[in-house]
Amino acid sequence: MVNINTNVRRFTALQMMFHFGLIVTFMLLSVTGLAWMFIETSWGKTLAAPFGGYTGALEVHKITGLVLLALFALHILYTLVHIDWKHPSRTLLGPDSIVFQWRDVKDFFRHLGWIMGMIKAPEFDRWSWWEKFDYWAVWWGLMIVGVTGLMLYNPVLTSHYLPGWFLNVALWVHRIEAVLAMAHIFTIHFFIEHFRPRCFPFSATMFEGSKDIKHLREEHPAWIARLETEGGLQALMVKPSPVPLRILYFGVGYALIGLGIFLLVFGLINVSLLTLQI
Amino acid sequence: MGILPNMKVRIAALLMVALIPGAAIGVVSVPHSYELASTGYFRDSDTVPGAYQLYLQTPESKGGFWGLGPGDSDLKRASFKADAHAGVRNYSPGRRCESCHEGQRYSIHSSRGGVACVQCHRSEPIAGINHYYSAMNPIRRHAYVCAKCHEGATASFASYLVHEPSPLAQSTEREFPLLYYATWIMAILAVGVFLIFIPYVTLWGIREFVGLFGRKQRHG
Repeated sequence: MVNINTNVRRFTALQMMFHFGLIVTFMLLSVTGLAWMFIETSWGKTLAAPFGGYTGALEVHKITGLVLLALFALHILYTLVHIDWKHPSRTLLGPDSIVFQWRDVKDFFRHLGWIMGMIKAPEFDRWSWWEKFDYWAVWWGLMIVGVTGLMLYNPVLTSHYLPGWFLNVALWVHRIEAVLAMAHIFTIHFFIEHFRPRCFPFSATMFEGSKDIKHLREEHPAWIARLETEGGLQALMVKPSPVPLRILYFGVGYALIGLGIFLLVFGLINVSLLTLQI
Repeated sequence: MGILPNMKVRIAALLMVALIPGAAIGVVSVPHSYELASTGYFRDSDTVPGAYQLYLQTPESKGGFWGLGPGDSDLKRASFKADAHAGVRNYSPGRRCESCHEGQRYSIHSSRGGVACVQCHRSEPIAGINHYYSAMNPIRRHAYVCAKCHEGATASFASYLVHEPSPLAQSTEREFPLLYYATWIMAILAVGVFLIFIPYVTLWGIREFVGLFGRKQRHG
């Protein structure tokens, strides 16, 4: 079974590294950020303890934030390099593009129609509308949380260029965007990618870079059909990862999912103890 | 050269103007203890009784940046007093600040940083924040209060609101418009995402479950 090419390659090693870098920095930022946000509660103090209290947690938060922004800058560079600048519309508006197109709006409503049991499921090409949404949500989120994070990184320096009261605003925007990002990842993203019946219990695509063709014929039929007619499918066929590796992916994946759900559940339990006034 | 005598007269006149009022009132060089307690720094001329009235300040009614900043909150008369609690019945230095200043109870300086009220508002008698000699007066707050922890704090830095209003409260639209609008926009964005996605993915999960279950039944 393992020796047969049953999987179709979906991500390159570099793309997977970007995603893994995002996971590590995001989780570290979540733990240290929530530790600071909940430092009044015993749960917050427990989260901060591995970093030596809130000062250490804040220090790690700041450095990790810089690492994530550097990763983001590298990713922007990566996307710019991959655009065919002679024919930008080919890379940006082609069927392999992750850029939102009119088709995605129609797909969203068709998908909703299928959910309601009214019409046939839409046939997604390489990227479905929710995959595109998840990808661009990181851009939008990082812009907001990154700019405000940099402002808060050195408040004294920031106040040389902006009035100090901008920091009141920056802190609230940073906080709400971060809570939105965490809540989205720990509920919607985890559900769509791992918990919904077709993917349960775990989808390792972002770790092994490929996906079973049977699954893809259901989830991305237009892409597979296009590859078959264009004749590019064979070049993308690969073997699934060996079992030990898949066990590792599952273990690491579930440790991260567990951490996310732990943060979500305990954050919700402790939220009434916060003295923060909104 | 003809101007010289004229200048002498002018200098003499200037000296007279400068000295006579001082001589007439009688310069008091010993500051009141509350002035020392509040700032520890002032000029001799500032200690002339009543002189501080010259320096009473009214903060601008609207903040900078096209009126988006903080500023239009209610000014308290006591904030101009040398002893903000003078004449307050049932006040005693032993009472907890938040037993009266309920609205100022929450700030991340106190709740997270563990900063006590008196670390910024100083010891008894506590000067009103707009009193000229107060360490909290905006002209010196950054140097006398903020810089104790935030090295290099500037007057701009000190305009950060330690006791910020609740960002979503209606009154904040008037008191601190940018905070109000920015927080509302972010809150609507966050709530909007979940209002769309939670029902969507719930129905989606049910649909897939029904689909898979139905298929198994057909094949089984």
